[in-house]
Amino acid sequence: MPMELLVTLVLALPIAGFGLTALVGRRLGTRAWIVAVPAIVVTWAIAMVVVWTALSGGFGTDGLHFTLYQWVPAGDFTIEANFAVDNLTAVLLIVVTTVGMLVHVYSIGYMAHDPGRWRFFAYLNLFMFSMLLLVLAGNFMLLFAAWELVGLCSYLLIGFWYPRPSAAIAAKKAFLANRVGDVGFALGIFAVWTTVGTLNFTDAFERLSEGLAGGQIEAWAITGIALLLFCGAVGKSAQFPLHVWLPDAMEGPTPVSALIHAATMVNAGVYFVARANPLFSLSPEAMFVVAAIGIFTAILAASIALTQNDIKRVLAYSTLSQLGYMFASLGVGAYVAAIFHMTAQGFTKGLLFLGSGSVIHGVHEEQDMNRMGGLWRRMPITHATMLVGSLSMAGIPPLAAFFSKDEILGEAFKNGFLWVWLVGIVVAALTAFYMFRLMGKTFYGPSHVDPAVEPHVRESPRSMTVPLILLAIPAALLGLVLGLPFGAGLIGQWLEPIFEEAQLNLGLHHEPVQILGVDGVLILVSVAVATAGLAVAIRLFGFHWPLRGDDTEAQPERVAALTARAPRLYRASFRKWWFDELNDLLFVRLGGRVAHFIWWFDRAIVDGTVNGIGDVVQGAGRDLRRIQTGRVQNYALGIAIALIVMAGGFLIVTAR
Amino acid sequence: MSQSLDSYLALSALLFAVGTFGFLARRNAIAMLMSIELMLNAVNLAIVAFGAFVPSLRGDASVIALVVMAVAAAEATVGLAIVIAIYRNRRTPLVDEYTQMRE
Amino acid sequence: MTLPQTVPFLGWSWNDLLFLVLATALLGTALMVVLGRNIIRSGLWMIACFATLAGVYALLGTPLVAAAQVLVYIGAISVLILFAIMLTQTKGGPAALVFHHQAWAAAIAAVVLGTLLALVVTSTEWPLAGEYAATSVRAIAQLLFSDYVLPFEIVGVLLLAAVIGGVFLAKRDEPRDEPHGERPE
Repeated sequence: MPMELLVTLVLALPIAGFGLTALVGRRLGTRAWIVAVPAIVVTWAIAMVVVWTALSGGFGTDGLHFTLYQWVPAGDFTIEANFAVDNLTAVLLIVVTTVGMLVHVYSIGYMAHDPGRWRFFAYLNLFMFSMLLLVLAGNFMLLFAAWELVGLCSYLLIGFWYPRPSAAIAAKKAFLANRVGDVGFALGIFAVWTTVGTLNFTDAFERLSEGLAGGQIEAWAITGIALLLFCGAVGKSAQFPLHVWLPDAMEGPTPVSALIHAATMVNAGVYFVARANPLFSLSPEAMFVVAAIGIFTAILAASIALTQNDIKRVLAYSTLSQLGYMFASLGVGAYVAAIFHMTAQGFTKGLLFLGSGSVIHGVHEEQDMNRMGGLWRRMPITHATMLVGSLSMAGIPPLAAFFSKDEILGEAFKNGFLWVWLVGIVVAALTAFYMFRLMGKTFYGPSHVDPAVEPHVRESPRSMTVPLILLAIPAALLGLVLGLPFGAGLIGQWLEPIFEEAQLNLGLHHEPVQILGVDGVLILVSVAVATAGLAVAIRLFGFHWPLRGDDTEAQPERVAALTARAPRLYRASFRKWWFDELNDLLFVRLGGRVAHFIWWFDRAIVDGTVNGIGDVVQGAGRDLRRIQTGRVQNYALGIAIALIVMAGGFLIVTAR
Repeated sequence: MSQSLDSYLALSALLFAVGTFGFLARRNAIAMLMSIELMLNAVNLAIVAFGAFVPSLRGDASVIALVVMAVAAAEATVGLAIVIAIYRNRRTPLVDEYTQMRE
Repeated sequence: MTLPQTVPFLGWSWNDLLFLVLATALLGTALMVVLGRNIIRSGLWMIACFATLAGVYALLGTPLVAAAQVLVYIGAISVLILFAIMLTQTKGGPAALVFHHQAWAAAIAAVVLGTLLALVVTSTEWPLAGEYAATSVRAIAQLLFSDYVLPFEIVGVLLLAAVIGGVFLAKRDEPRDEPHGERPE
């Protein structure tokens, strides 16, 4: 079983790294990475072997399935620790291990001066283990365990700088928002168990679709299960209305933001819905909900990203928006496009976050873009790599996200979801705009860097720039490699067999792309709007062109004039559509009232009853204690009275 | 009258009641012990009376009465020894002042 | 001189008269024991009560029990009690405190109990009761040393244990630090 052994090693190495680092990391001092990083590098190498075997058809169409051991043997109810490796898993493995490895390397430099670095590397390794377990899991229970584990790691890493109150609060917020989704997810798993009696992915999906076809399972039950499971995906992938935690999660160290909150963990929801495609495709209603929530989140987050000033928050809202795209894509049945976009976005956003970390590092832990500017000369590598990432994100050909985003929009249009396409086009324009607003405010434009810091701003160390360069390569070329020719690229060849059944359920059939027909027009439209958004942003925030010398000075006025034209919209975007305030009102204030009432009820009624019983017993004891005088004659009197009663009773009985 | 079992038993009952009263009412530990002796004697009287009137019990009743006397002697010995021991510690023979172990 | 068959003027048998006298004396002395305010007098009245009871035993035709009553109760127990009274006598103890607070309740309980018990024993039909007859000493002796030999021995051991226990309990604790050879030889 060499392949099984390799897959097991992929899981075992990170957890071993976690254990070692957690045990001896404190003694390693500045070399805390000495165990953790090599462990992940080796994991990456092994994972690549597995991926290569899987994608070259080494496991057949069904993929590799094996059981490591019986996890929960409880009578009829057994849960096995079984794993599945198919092409979908393989694509995920590429993203997770590659970004994971580069983030680990990057963290050596980024966390070099943090006294808690051994803790950081231990958590990162634990996260890698959890995420790989999530990807490899072959049943719902194992997936749920991994799901919770990544949530835990996310909590620990957001709150990594826990003495900072905002970090501690953000960690709690993320944990609670995830919990809300996870309740639905757990209920969904229960529902799957009670409906089909198995938790294995393949068996469960098979029986669900057979049950629906045979009439044993009602259609509404399928929809219910799908929507409950989708709750978990909404929480983990931060979709509306549980999206509020992701921007605050930026309180964590930047490598964490890149790895967990951009490239891997937040994709877990997308991965899960794709994995459960045979189930979701059975219910058009569930598909509709997925598409609607996805595209709504996309436009909502994009609109907020327009006005934020914290560099990491802009990226966080961008992540939200892209995740929304992916869900919309899943909802319209464009599974391949969703996974494609996930891959492209994972690399690109990982790159952007690491780049932003480099910038933040360079300007001495400043995150406000209003206090940056003109950095492109001082940080050339960071600037170049981030420019690649931004162009890709904005959907400019021939970079990675252009291909994937275009595929999503094209599929939405062709599958008859015109409204998804329309909103998606708007989002594409907004994306290009806010990405280049970020680039302009950070790298171009006039410098607003603190004068005391400015002379010290220089390029980050090599352990940080090398990962940036390495991430820029897939961000630039991934689309060309996987996405060409349009509609028949490598990614399609890998993933289409997996989604065959879902396509069949949905009644969709794969049509050849007409580059000179409808597809060509769609591509042109999306490129045009992206370019337009980009151009506007550059004009407002970018260079002053040498030809028009006084342009830079006019920029702030132009921005102010634009915001003044739609002050309400600006405020809405700037205050994030008041979602935090709404939650505060709904859950903190109103929930507080309810909780207060319940507290009162508990105190007055429940405790009152309990304490009342206690008081009665105590009082009775206190009063009855007087009977226990300790005087033998009082007791003897009792005996005498009892004797009288007995004699009297005897007399009465015999007299009758 | 002297030939009737009932009269002896009634006498025994009354003697027992007198002993009961003494035990319940007296405060002095020794007086209480004396009351107990009276009650034991009342029981003994009943036993002997049964022996005199029930042919099948004739010898046995006397034996039992003798055993009761011996036990009563043992009880009196130990009881009085306890009273003296307590008196030595508490300086009082009055039972209702022995409240050391009340709470 | 011989006595007439019945008591003159009353027509009772002499035994009945004797019973009445003894019963009255028994209850009277017993009441003196429990009601007397002076504990020494109570002890003395108890001796009288035990003596009267011995008379009742004699009337019942059990001279051995009567003799044992005199020996054990009057000779041993009463003397023991009188010694205990002497050892625990506190001078000037307030006389009002002879009786307990619950004396009235005790009195009522005792009266009711006595009445009830008397009623119960008299209202009961004793099916096995036959003719009144005396018990011979020989029969008692034979029973005591044949059928009842084990209880007899056990009672002997019990008495021994009680004696040892009584001595141990009543013994004054010797002060440990006192030198032993203080008394002159």
